[in-house]
Amino acid sequence: MNISTCNPEIIEQFLAEQLDEQQRATFERHLDECDDCCRLLHERTAEATLWNDARSFLSSAELTADALPKPSPRETSPTSLDFLAPTDDPRMLGRFAGYEICGVIGSGGMGIVLKGFDLALNRYAAIKVLAPHYASSGAARQRFAREAQAAAAVVHDNVIAIHGVSECNGLPYLVMPYVKGVSLQKRIDRNGPLTTSEMLRIAMQTARGLAAAHDQGLVHRDIKPANILLPENVERVMITDFGLARAADDASLTRSGVIAGTPQYMSPEQARGEGIDHRSDLFSLGSVMYAMATGHPPFRAETPYGVLRRITDSDHRPVQEIRSDTPTWMCEIIDRLLNKNAAERFSSAKEVATLLEDCLAHVQQPATVPLPFVLNRNGRRNGGRRAVAGIIIGVAGVFLAWAALFQESPPADMSGPAASQKKIGSLSNETATPAELVTPTDLEWSASDELNTIESTLRELKQELGPVP
Amino acid sequence: MNSPETRPSLLLRVRNREDREAWAEFSEIYRPVIQRLARLKGMQDADSEDLAQQVLLTVASAIERFEPDDSRARFRTWIKTIARNAILNALTRGAPDQATGAADMQAFLEQRPDPGSTESAQFQHEYRREVFLWASRQIRPEFSEETWQSFWLTAVEGLDVDAAAEQLERTRGSVYASRSRVMRRLKQKVEEFTDGDDDL
Repeated sequence: MNISTCNPEIIEQFLAEQLDEQQRATFERHLDECDDCCRLLHERTAEATLWNDARSFLSSAELTADALPKPSPRETSPTSLDFLAPTDDPRMLGRFAGYEICGVIGSGGMGIVLKGFDLALNRYAAIKVLAPHYASSGAARQRFAREAQAAAAVVHDNVIAIHGVSECNGLPYLVMPYVKGVSLQKRIDRNGPLTTSEMLRIAMQTARGLAAAHDQGLVHRDIKPANILLPENVERVMITDFGLARAADDASLTRSGVIAGTPQYMSPEQARGEGIDHRSDLFSLGSVMYAMATGHPPFRAETPYGVLRRITDSDHRPVQEIRSDTPTWMCEIIDRLLNKNAAERFSSAKEVATLLEDCLAHVQQPATVPLPFVLNRNGRRNGGRRAVAGIIIGVAGVFLAWAALFQESPPADMSGPAASQKKIGSLSNETATPAELVTPTDLEWSASDELNTIESTLRELKQELGPVP
Repeated sequence: MNSPETRPSLLLRVRNREDREAWAEFSEIYRPVIQRLARLKGMQDADSEDLAQQVLLTVASAIERFEPDDSRARFRTWIKTIARNAILNALTRGAPDQATGAADMQAFLEQRPDPGSTESAQFQHEYRREVFLWASRQIRPEFSEETWQSFWLTAVEGLDVDAAAEQLERTRGSVYASRSRVMRRLKQKVEEFTDGDDDL
């Protein structure tokens, strides 16, 4: 977009929150220079009465920042390592629960992840220690232990194993294998959007891991790229932090009532604080796929509350508007996962995993493996698609009517099949076979017309299904 | 007058979760409306609070008579009609005593107040003010401090855009853009609540 040109359409798109960050910046620069557009924007935003009402009604209120509950500064300050016991080994940071701690892998809202060496087993491990402010309530500690034990029971290639859950000096912790690699979040940050087959591979394995957990009645609640681990040199994906989100939710909500962290991958039902089930994870999986395709989550806003509002109220921007080369069927899968209504999503992670597997096979061998049929049947949810379906039904109807007419026309002759055969036969050739009889010249025109319609519909349908990548 | 503890038990009658939310929103907006209207009529603060409580109780007890049906917006619209009548009637005729029989209460709630009265116009005005205040409280957390200030300084306090831009150390364009974003959202929120008010 040129900065100096006025474009009323941009104003509408801006107000509908359809511009991406770059477009918005460009638009703001244009406003800087163009008074006409400022005026137009003002008018399009709201009617004059509304601007007046806002001024007269709100000026009586003190609704500045002071009047509002301030979100407490996020507790991401580097967690201190005070809780470590001293060690004899000068290369180590300290000792914790029998592990020699040699480094910090990461720290998040919930706690800190340490890299430790297990002397007894002679191997490295990742040790996740619950942050002291979570550990302060007995209920939160119990919950952490319970959830971690439930997560430990999920044994699957795509779910990180939990070796043990315990407590040391009042700090609950859990031990996981140390995996060298990056999170999907880091991959997206570094390399941008992923290719279709990479996306499918990661999403498929994530769905499989989820399916294994859902089978045991465990909901992840915090599926996001940062919790999907991509181990080095292996084509394998591992989900981490299973079931821990709930422990964190409880502790943080009872503590402050403020949302900790970014809720960008939450489902609408989570955002509304309603009860959730496994289908909430499917929504989050949809958000993760969206992020893999576009490089950013589907719902973004200035503040966590803004994100929540967009998750519950607005539709995500279609993937193809951001990345036009995304196959239509892929967008359909994402759209269905991101359906606000849980009942409209896929029914299970297993179903999604199978579907993605079939899609991956198709992408790898487009010539021999067709797209899964389910996409043709369930994928069509928007108007355009419905119209195509309508055409197909319409055409089928015409076809049937035509066929019926054909069957009925000879008896309508009132002289029986033999007589009619003789009659039509006499029009052309005495030795005509029945097959030839159904193509009399006067009907040929309409027949080929119908065929043309059917053919063109099929062509449309092919286009509708999208280019085969 | 009933003790305030009665309220939660009355509210339990609103079983549907969405209806409960609608009720919470409703009382957040209507209570100050009633209080302000009462004060405009010369009532003392304490009396206006009593009146508000009494009217809300009357409305809450009327919830029993509400027959839920499939249309979502119905509870909201219904309760707004009831409340508006109750408020205007209470202001012009005095609220009914709690001891009054159910039939009288029903009659009180269903009396159609004179739409052309001063009270009716005042009610519309105060109601709209509360809806604006409520809507701005609702949307405030969705915006960053800077964005909100761009809106507040220029649209509410009437500061010149250039002056606001200087004060906030932003460009004019971003002040214009920010305040329009907030205003558009405010409009949405206000309309969300007042949707169907024309039927009143």
